[in-house]
Amino acid sequence: MSFASESTLGDGPLKTMSELVTFKVNDIEVSAPKGMLLIEAVKKAGVEIPHFCYHPRLKPDANCRMCLVEIEKMPKLQTACTMPVAEGMVVQTTSDSVVASQNGVMEYLLGNHPLDCPECDQGGECQLQDFGHQHSKLGSRFLEQKRVFPKEYFGPLVEKEMNRCVSCLRCVRYCDEVMGVTALGSFDRGNGTQIGTFAHGELDCEYCGGCIQICPVGALTSRLSMYENRTWQLKKTDTICNYCGDGCSLILEGVKDDITRVSSETGAGRNRGDLCARGFFGYGAINHKDRLSRPRLNTKGRTLEVTWDWAFNKAAEDLKKIVAQHGPDAVGGVISTHCSNEEAYLFQKLMREVIGTPHVDSTARYGYINALSALNEVFGTARLSHYEDIRSADVLLVVGADMAESNPIAGIQVKDAVRAGAQLITLDASSPERDTYYSHLPSLATQHLNIRFGTEQSAIIGLVKALFDKGIASSAPRKLVNQIKKKVAVISFAEIEATTGLTENSYRRAAQTYAGAEHAVMIVGRGVIQSEGGYQNMLRLEELSILAGQVGREGAGILPLASENNAFGVVESGASSEYLPGLKRQEAKPKALTLLEMIDAAAEGKLKALYLVGADPLRNLPQKKVADALSNLDLLICQDLFPTETNAHAHILLPAASFAEKSGHYTNHEGVVQKGHQAIEPVGGAKPDWMIFSILSNKIKEETTLPYFKLVGYRSADEVWKEAVMAMPNDWQQNSKEAISRHVAAYAEHAEIQYALQTPRASNGVMDLQLGQNRYHAGTTSRYAEGLNRLLDCECVVIHPDDAEALQLEEGERVRLSSHLSGASVELPIQLSQKQGRGALFVPEHFGLSVKGLLPLTIDRESKVPYGDRGPVKLSKVAASTQVKG
Amino acid sequence: MADYELILFKNMAKTGYDGSLKAYQQEGGYAALKRVLSDFSPADVIDEVKKSGLRGRGGAGFPAGLKWSFIPKDYKGPRYLCCNADESEPGTYKDRQLMERDPHQMLEGMAICCYAIGAQKAYIYIRGEFDLGAEILNDAIDEACTAKVLGKDIFGSGFNLEIVVHRGAGAYICGEETALLESIEGKRGKPRIKPPFPAIHGLYQEPTVINNVETLANIPHIINKGASWFAGIGTEKSTGTKIYSVSGHVKRPGNFEAPMGVTLREIIYDFAGGIKGDKQLKAVIPGGASAPFMTPEQIDTPMDFDSIKAIGSMLGSAAITVMDETTCIVWAAMNLMEFFHHESCGQCTPCREGSAWILQILRRIENGLGEETDLALLEELCGRIGGNTVCAFGDAEIGPILSTIKHFRAEYENHIREKCCPLRPKARLAMAH
Ligand SMILES: Cc1cc2nc3c(=O)[nH]c(=O)nc-3n(C[C@H](O)[C@H](O)[C@H](O)COP(=O)(O)O)c2cc1C
Ligand code: SF4
Ligand code: SF4
Ligand code: SF4
Ligand code: FES
Repeated sequence: MSFASESTLGDGPLKTMSELVTFKVNDIEVSAPKGMLLIEAVKKAGVEIPHFCYHPRLKPDANCRMCLVEIEKMPKLQTACTMPVAEGMVVQTTSDSVVASQNGVMEYLLGNHPLDCPECDQGGECQLQDFGHQHSKLGSRFLEQKRVFPKEYFGPLVEKEMNRCVSCLRCVRYCDEVMGVTALGSFDRGNGTQIGTFAHGELDCEYCGGCIQICPVGALTSRLSMYENRTWQLKKTDTICNYCGDGCSLILEGVKDDITRVSSETGAGRNRGDLCARGFFGYGAINHKDRLSRPRLNTKGRTLEVTWDWAFNKAAEDLKKIVAQHGPDAVGGVISTHCSNEEAYLFQKLMREVIGTPHVDSTARYGYINALSALNEVFGTARLSHYEDIRSADVLLVVGADMAESNPIAGIQVKDAVRAGAQLITLDASSPERDTYYSHLPSLATQHLNIRFGTEQSAIIGLVKALFDKGIASSAPRKLVNQIKKKVAVISFAEIEATTGLTENSYRRAAQTYAGAEHAVMIVGRGVIQSEGGYQNMLRLEELSILAGQVGREGAGILPLASENNAFGVVESGASSEYLPGLKRQEAKPKALTLLEMIDAAAEGKLKALYLVGADPLRNLPQKKVADALSNLDLLICQDLFPTETNAHAHILLPAASFAEKSGHYTNHEGVVQKGHQAIEPVGGAKPDWMIFSILSNKIKEETTLPYFKLVGYRSADEVWKEAVMAMPNDWQQNSKEAISRHVAAYAEHAEIQYALQTPRASNGVMDLQLGQNRYHAGTTSRYAEGLNRLLDCECVVIHPDDAEALQLEEGERVRLSSHLSGASVELPIQLSQKQGRGALFVPEHFGLSVKGLLPLTIDRESKVPYGDRGPVKLSKVAASTQVKG
Repeated sequence: MADYELILFKNMAKTGYDGSLKAYQQEGGYAALKRVLSDFSPADVIDEVKKSGLRGRGGAGFPAGLKWSFIPKDYKGPRYLCCNADESEPGTYKDRQLMERDPHQMLEGMAICCYAIGAQKAYIYIRGEFDLGAEILNDAIDEACTAKVLGKDIFGSGFNLEIVVHRGAGAYICGEETALLESIEGKRGKPRIKPPFPAIHGLYQEPTVINNVETLANIPHIINKGASWFAGIGTEKSTGTKIYSVSGHVKRPGNFEAPMGVTLREIIYDFAGGIKGDKQLKAVIPGGASAPFMTPEQIDTPMDFDSIKAIGSMLGSAAITVMDETTCIVWAAMNLMEFFHHESCGQCTPCREGSAWILQILRRIENGLGEETDLALLEELCGRIGGNTVCAFGDAEIGPILSTIKHFRAEYENHIREKCCPLRPKARLAMAH
């Protein structure tokens, strides 16, 4: 008998436990799936068995001995947390011997406990309090000296109070079994057992907060909300995390208008209750003192704070003036992928219908649009796989993604799958080693296709070519197969190896594993989606999945990872130059401009007014060019949470409410649409974006006679949502196998497939630099989260220890990065990481702007995505005298 | 002193016997393995061991042949044998002698077992302090591999066996079979929950047999002389000989090999020469620190698994600790509890918290600070541990406490009433600092 994973949440073995058994607990007869753990099964009879170490997310460990129950015909009391329920079982949870044992365990646990509940942050949601209240006798006979552990700060964000610890090891098990980080362990023995990190150091880990949340008592608590509130005073609101595209449900907790902590509910949401550092510790941005609070006008170098009314009138008037003078096409607008579906819908409506311009786009243009349009082009949908599919897949192919950094919760689904026996194939330029306290998917991979930096495009050709050995699915349209076969035939494995560094054999093995899987899911990350050739490379991967027969059927599919929480939803709601709501391609006249083209048009003087909602092109595009374009505008309206480089140029600056201050729907990268609820009133004088669009639309159309008159002027986001849903096709959230294969067949007819092998780059003393996401941050808003800043608060260059050694560099030492093209340079400290590919450097993109300036910018011919995250740089030691101390 | 046939100590009792491969082979060593490999099927071996009635010598007395038969026959993956040489039970020092003085006897037993269960890799988990033993074993394995009696293609039979010596790091709990497995796997030595049992999910989750050194050392003899010969020694249900490690207040402490079922009296007064200084016997622990205390009235009980169990103690590892009239029983119980408190792995609430609490109470009583209610409390605290923990350590640690309260209650009461230890009156001063 093995208990492995029988109790883990979700779709594990429980799904297959369809056979019911009938058993009795405290004389109540109930039935439950055979093999279900008793501790869960008795809930069906309304019985709760007290417990500490049991947790549904973890494998049973049976160490606390609180759940002992009496089972007829068994000689000793049995732990309900390990006992599978069986037909005819007769269970007592309140008999004298059970009660005596429960009283006993409680007296043991409370003996050394400091009973400092009045100042403990867990008070009110503590299992020791709750079960103690129910299962303790009054008074303790413990007259001895209590054991005392000194209180410790366990790293910058966790408070460790071992006197409260019940040694249930839930924290250690969570970190091992769920995160795969293994930062925690129990130390010393017997009565001196305590939780710590190896070598008794400070906690240095992914800081997912899971150990804090899963601790049943106040032994591990968050330093961010230390002593702030009593838990029962906190108002809890369900919402969706606003950082990455994983779509995690979280609970914002606060008093009045102050969010003081975040939690999540075990098993709830796409994340099943797991969170990452950003979700758990990243709420500090919401109530940050730098939030914009009043509308501002900038005229002739003077800044005026004005009322909303004034701002609306001014914006409406100025926009109308420009439309009157230059026509509606002189106006353009870009919205952020952190806004809700309602807001994106309303924004495109404001632009397209109220103002009448086709020029609307979103920040999905920085990359994610590649994935959405390439998927939509081939399959007619971008909803091709879910986390459930990942967890039940037997093969996972992860291409160009560092999921532990960019999408940690989607990463947990992969880790779960690997633990359940799935084979993992990873393809990227990272090294497969992991740093001690951080997880890294390639370290779990059965095959890590360790390509040369930036050669994803060529590696995809290798995989496709290798597939022709024996992997072509019968479902793949012949025409497509033939075309591809012909195209890859002219490229040799030797050439592919010369570029990517990977042998024919590696490709064959991977292609066979992928195609031979019962259910494979392909997960595609920024290394493809947001890197040069992104749109075409995405198409090539989709064709690979079609050839392998790993798409368009139950359990197999493609998941395109999003770095922003609503990249999918904003585009699908119509805030995109090429799509109307529901990803309906639009043929606008004049042709709709993309974000980049709007900047160009502004520079040329064709675009007169630009409305930027949460978009900060000065950060993402060549600064000089953007600055010139912006200053050429007659009207720049910006709507933001915080001051940015871009909105410093705004003529009208509107303070927007954060996700915590509004309700709305968000669509994660699986295509799952979820509602977030409003937790607090808007901070300062901010307003939700949807409300701003609604009011502004009214102001603009006050003197017009357009027929949509009655449609604007919404009282709530829900009202907007009702209308937005009406604008979607009937089955927008569904997809059918038939529809997908129809689309694939149509694509096969007209597709013109090109394979372009990259040329191997000679390493002439330069290193490859990649900008990207760090696990503690997302975009730039996270920089305002105090908790996350304690983990990382400045730019650094990540380098492999071998490279550092060769260059005689030490951790923290400053180096100079310079562009061998422009000669521009930046000085940054280095950070060592085992997982960094040798010869390659990584800089987190959340902080300074200057590194971006070292990298070349190219623009996708089809999707107009600007690629500026990769390129060669020179790295040199900074002479000792110029080293900055501290 | 009665003259019993030696089995395990037979070779080493010969003058000049040095335990080398050559010496062992001169005494007929590795013949059993050779015979097994040519004439026996694995099932035959298991049958023979079952018939011999051999029970485990590590403490629990589980029938060895039966244990081997639990290994799934048609399992495709690897299987393992782990030889438990952790020998950390206070008072026990028999395995050490078996390993240091006649290492090949045990290695041959291991090889036969591996053949029977289909294992090609075996571990010897040896107590960390046994430097010499580890060295001797490693040398013996090298020697045997060179001579092709172990290693690859043993005796040309095609059977391969690699034996690895794994040294412990000083935790008593790693002698518990599942903690031992965790420790070999490189994890913190802490017992696993059972089921699953090691025969199904053992080392690296593969089917595994764990046997004590002495158990395995018996195997070659059973093969050589036959199961019925072995079953004829000892008692009906405890067959063969046993090595009794005698310590404490005796004239001649040491390891003695004699059949199962000899009486404690014979061991103490005959083999070990009686009580030192001819004092009165006060109490005996018959089977290592975890065995409940016995009184002088009980020493005519035969030393076999069932008889000792019948009088409320256990044969355990048959490590006999003898205490004379000068011993304070409360102090002795406290001393044992110091050990258990120190060695509890700490995962189960009752064992972790209970061992510390019980120890504190015993210290108080021994130092004259006991309370009237303490004895009842001690009994209750022990009662909550027994049967309620992950591993048998919980049952072990309460044995000395409950048995001394049962047999020597008056002495405890005396401590409490007199507010000092009658035999060690100065103890309280010592605690005062
Ligand atoms: C706390 C504890 C410590 C143990 N220590 C040892 C030991 O040092 N040596 C040993 O052989 N068995 C020890 N055992 C028994 C083993 O768990 C196991 O039963 C034994 O090794 C099986 O071998 P056998 O069947 O040959 O006796 C210990 C058991 C417990 C509960
Ligand atoms: S990664 Fe860090 S925060 Fe998350 S469970 Fe492990 S130790 Fe706790
Ligand atoms: S810190 Fe909390 S979760 Fe970890 S062992 Fe202690 S009580 Fe359990
Ligand atoms: S009974 Fe004691 S030694 Fe055994 S597992 Fe539990 S805590 Fe560890
Ligand atoms: S909940 Fe079952 S032993 Fe802890």
